[in-house]
Amino acid sequence: MLLLLCSLQMFINIQQLLTRNSIRKNGSDFVSIAKNITNENMGKDNRFSSADIAELKAQPFIEDAAPLIPNLFRVQASAGQMVNFSSDIFIEALNNNFIDTVPPTFTWVENQPTLPVIFSSEFLEMYNVFAPSWELPQLSPATATNVAISLHCEGKLGERIFIARIVAFSDRVNSILVPENFLEWANKTLEGQDSTKSSRVFIKTKDANNSDLLKFLDQKDYRVNKDKTMFGRSKQILQGIITGLGVFGLLVILLALMLFSFYLQLVIARSKDNLQLLLTLGYSPAWLSQNMAKQFMPVYIFVVLTGLALTQVMQWSFHHFVMYDRPELSSFVDWVVIAAAILLIILSIITNYRLVKRLLYRMF
Amino acid sequence: MQLRIQQLLPVYFDEARKSNSDIWGKDLSFSKGEMIKIVAPSGSGKTSLVHFLYGMRQDYNGSILYGDKNIKQFGAEDFALHRKDNISVVFQDLRLFPEQTVGENLEIKRQLNPFHPSEKIKEMAERLGIGNKLQSKAKICSYGEQQRVAIIRSLLQPFDFLLLDEPFSHLDNNNSEKAMELMLEEAKQREACIIFADLERIDYFPYTKLFHL
Repeated sequence: MLLLLCSLQMFINIQQLLTRNSIRKNGSDFVSIAKNITNENMGKDNRFSSADIAELKAQPFIEDAAPLIPNLFRVQASAGQMVNFSSDIFIEALNNNFIDTVPPTFTWVENQPTLPVIFSSEFLEMYNVFAPSWELPQLSPATATNVAISLHCEGKLGERIFIARIVAFSDRVNSILVPENFLEWANKTLEGQDSTKSSRVFIKTKDANNSDLLKFLDQKDYRVNKDKTMFGRSKQILQGIITGLGVFGLLVILLALMLFSFYLQLVIARSKDNLQLLLTLGYSPAWLSQNMAKQFMPVYIFVVLTGLALTQVMQWSFHHFVMYDRPELSSFVDWVVIAAAILLIILSIITNYRLVKRLLYRMF
Repeated sequence: MQLRIQQLLPVYFDEARKSNSDIWGKDLSFSKGEMIKIVAPSGSGKTSLVHFLYGMRQDYNGSILYGDKNIKQFGAEDFALHRKDNISVVFQDLRLFPEQTVGENLEIKRQLNPFHPSEKIKEMAERLGIGNKLQSKAKICSYGEQQRVAIIRSLLQPFDFLLLDEPFSHLDNNNSEKAMELMLEEAKQREACIIFADLERIDYFPYTKLFHL
């Protein structure tokens, strides 16, 4: 009994802890996924096709999905006089709905020479780490937005130079983002290709720790940011263990109920003569079974209530000593556990009453 | 209220029994207020008849009707009610709770459907000479004493019909007469019918009908 109630309570604790802890924006999680690159599939095309994305969107636990469209031409960035730095870079485009910071200036129209860019905050940090050793100045986000970067784009069909300006930093997307229509235009104009395939896809989901989602990703062999789903992984394992314990508790209870019913049958068999005589005298079998059941009722209630009380003690200690009174959890047992305890009492009383009644009617 | 039997015959008796019995295979009806005497030698099915009428056994052909209801159609709860309100019995084999005291044996029956107050038990026991046995366990009482307990027990509930199966087999004439007197009084109070089955005729039972089983 204690085992069952405790497992139930722990199950609820874990649910509460993990759903309230996960990092959310607008109530949804955004995770980027990519296909796992292994030695076996290394030579093949490991990009997402539009069919792959449609399949992702069709999953009930995925609210939306959008590909990160890459540049198909060569991009060289240089920062001019202020920061003497030049490098080949990559740029990507993503649906605006998936970007956490989209300023109104993040737009581009054809023939516009300046290009707004959303820069990953992590990239800026990385830059600031290696900048001193290359004798480059370290940049604050505010300064970085003032730096005019010249982007030299060169493809099979031509080359163009754009003046890029950082308009925002993104915590969510680790990339250098440009407006979607720019990249579509550039890929077509400079490289003569449609931007259909992408190596990365961003998905929007209610809960990145959802076990169905994790199962689906595993099954498709998609790689996902481990950090974001770590909770879900440990939740899966913990819930597995707790469920196992609960099932074990249920089995023990079933066994105990069986044992008790055997005991009851023995008691009835031992007093068979007396019960039969009572029936002969005119005592109603229904009344007798009710009374018999009543005899055992306090035992059941006592056992269940003791179990409940111990669960309460356990929950309090768990909350107080293990969880240091974290506000997500309660020191009291959840109402579901209490309901389960009451259900168990009712269940055992009914099964006993029915058993006794059946035995008595057979005697009649 | 009437208790009727129609073509009643135990399944284990052959048809020939019908010809030399006043009861087996006949249609009879017993009404409230009647005193029925059934004289039945050993093996003629006296105890079977009482058990059939009380609804304890169903291994008979024909039918037994209480009012217009066939008691073979009764369920367990119906019988419980029937025995609580309408019909009482003194078994030949008494059927007391051996581990319970005489007083407890009587109180168990009284509480089921109290016709008399609790004090009446003491009074009846005194009258039949077992007043000092109320605290003794039933199993240590003599058979004659137990028989008187069974008689008193049968009188602690309301009834329309009282079935007696050799109730005096272990009582001397004096005690039998006292018990009979008590039963007649109680039956009269309820305007009940007594169906008295015994081996031979007993003079102090004022029967209105006599049958040979």
